[in-house]
Amino acid sequence: MRKSDRYRFWIVLIGLVLLHFSVRTRLGDDRIAPDFLLLALLMYTIRAAPGPSAVAGFAVGLLRDALTPASFGSAALAHTLVGYLSSWAKAVFFAENLFVNGCILFGGTWVRNLVVVLASGELKGSPLAWELLVWSPLQSLTTAAVGVVVLWTLGRWVSVRVGDA
Amino acid sequence: MTIGADRYGSRAGTLVFLGCVALSVAAMSMPDTWREPVSRAIRQTILAPFLALQEETETLRSSRARLAAVTAERDSAMLAAAFLPELRAENARLRSLLGLGSRLSVTYVPAEVLHEAGPTDPLTFLVSAGRRQGVRPLDTVVSPEGLVGVVASVDEQTSVVATWAHPEFRASAMAVDGSVYGIVAPRGSEGPGIWLLELQGVPYRNQVPDSTLIVSSGLGGVIPRGIPLGTVIGPGAEVEHWERTYLVRPAVHPAAVTHVMILTGAPRNGGSLKDLFQAEGKSP
Repeated sequence: MRKSDRYRFWIVLIGLVLLHFSVRTRLGDDRIAPDFLLLALLMYTIRAAPGPSAVAGFAVGLLRDALTPASFGSAALAHTLVGYLSSWAKAVFFAENLFVNGCILFGGTWVRNLVVVLASGELKGSPLAWELLVWSPLQSLTTAAVGVVVLWTLGRWVSVRVGDA
Repeated sequence: MTIGADRYGSRAGTLVFLGCVALSVAAMSMPDTWREPVSRAIRQTILAPFLALQEETETLRSSRARLAAVTAERDSAMLAAAFLPELRAENARLRSLLGLGSRLSVTYVPAEVLHEAGPTDPLTFLVSAGRRQGVRPLDTVVSPEGLVGVVASVDEQTSVVATWAHPEFRASAMAVDGSVYGIVAPRGSEGPGIWLLELQGVPYRNQVPDSTLIVSSGLGGVIPRGIPLGTVIGPGAEVEHWERTYLVRPAVHPAAVTHVMILTGAPRNGGSLKDLFQAEGKSP
C-alpha cells in the first residue's frame, strides 16, 4: 500500500460529507435520497475496530441530533449501534466483497432508521410501518447503491484499514 | 485487503461502545433546557461551515428559477412604475373617501429550509436565517400557502422551526368568517390521521361544514390573525355532548417546503393577514 492511499481514504470520506450538505437536497425526496453522512460513517466502520466505530457513530449521531432537535439523543444511539454492529458484521462476513459491503450499507441504513423512530417514539401504527417498510428500504437502497458505486470506482482508495492510516 | 480478526477481541472496544450507548441514553433523557444549548453549540461550531455550504447550495438551486422570475417582475415593475405615482395618489384619495387605513403590511425575513435525512425531519427543521437577520423565538413561519410553524430557537445564522406537526404545537384558530373558534393541534403520530390537524374545543352547538378554511385567530399574540392553517375535511370526535373536534387538512406539509418567510413584526393595527395568502377552502 502506498503512503498516499491512506490520505485518499480520508479525502473520500470528507467528499461524502460535503456531498451530504450540498448535493443530497437535489436528489429528490428527503425520505429516499441517499444519506452520504451515514455512508461515510459506514465506510469508516467496516474498516475500523468496533470501539472507534462506536465513537465515530456517536459523534455523527450527535451532529444529526443537533440538526433535528425533535428527538435529541436518538440519532446518537442509532449511529452508535450501527457503527459498532457494522464493524462486527464485517468481521463475521470477513470477505472483501462488493455485494457483502452493499448489504452492510443497506442494513446499516435501515437499522439506523429503525432505531431512530423507535427511540424517538414519534411514529406509531401505520406511519411507523410505512417508514420501516417503504421509505427506509428505499433510502437504504439508494444509499447502498451510491456506496457500491463509490466502492467500485474508488475501490483502491477506500480499501484501507483505518488502523494502517 | 484482509481484515484481521484479532482486532475484534478487544474488551476496551466493548466498554467504549457501552459508554457511547450510555451517553446517548443520557442525551435522550436531558431536559429541554439542556438540550437546546448543546444543540446550538454544535450548530454554531462544528456544523457552521457545513450549514453555510448547505445554505449556499439551496440558494444556487433556486437561483435559476428566481432569475427568470425576477427578470419578468423587473419588466412588469418598469411598466407599472410609469403609472405608480398617479395610482398611489388615486388609491390614497379613494381610501380617504371610504375611510380606510393604509394597506396591511408585515415585515418578514425570507429563508431557505435546510432539510435533513431522517424520520423526524418534518417535526423540526433548520432554516437559514437567525438572530443576525432579526429572527426571534416564537416568530411565525409561513409559506405562500399558509402556516408552517413557529421559531423554537434562534442561533446567529440559523433557527430551529417547530412545525405544526410537532406534538407540542398549538394555535388559536377560527373559521375564516369568524363564526367558530377553537384550538388547532396536530392529530398525532398514530392511525390514519397522521399529518392532519385537529380543530379542538369547538362548542357542541357549532357545526363546521367540510371545506371550511381555518385560519389563525390571533388570540394569544404569538401567531398573527388570518394565516391559513388548513381546511376542514370532516368531524373528528365529540366529548360528551360538550365540544366537537374536526379534522383539518393542513395548508402546508413541512416536508414539501423549501423556502419560508419568517414574520418578524406584527401586522399594523393588529390586522388580519388573510388576504395575503393563496389558501384553498371556503367560508362556511
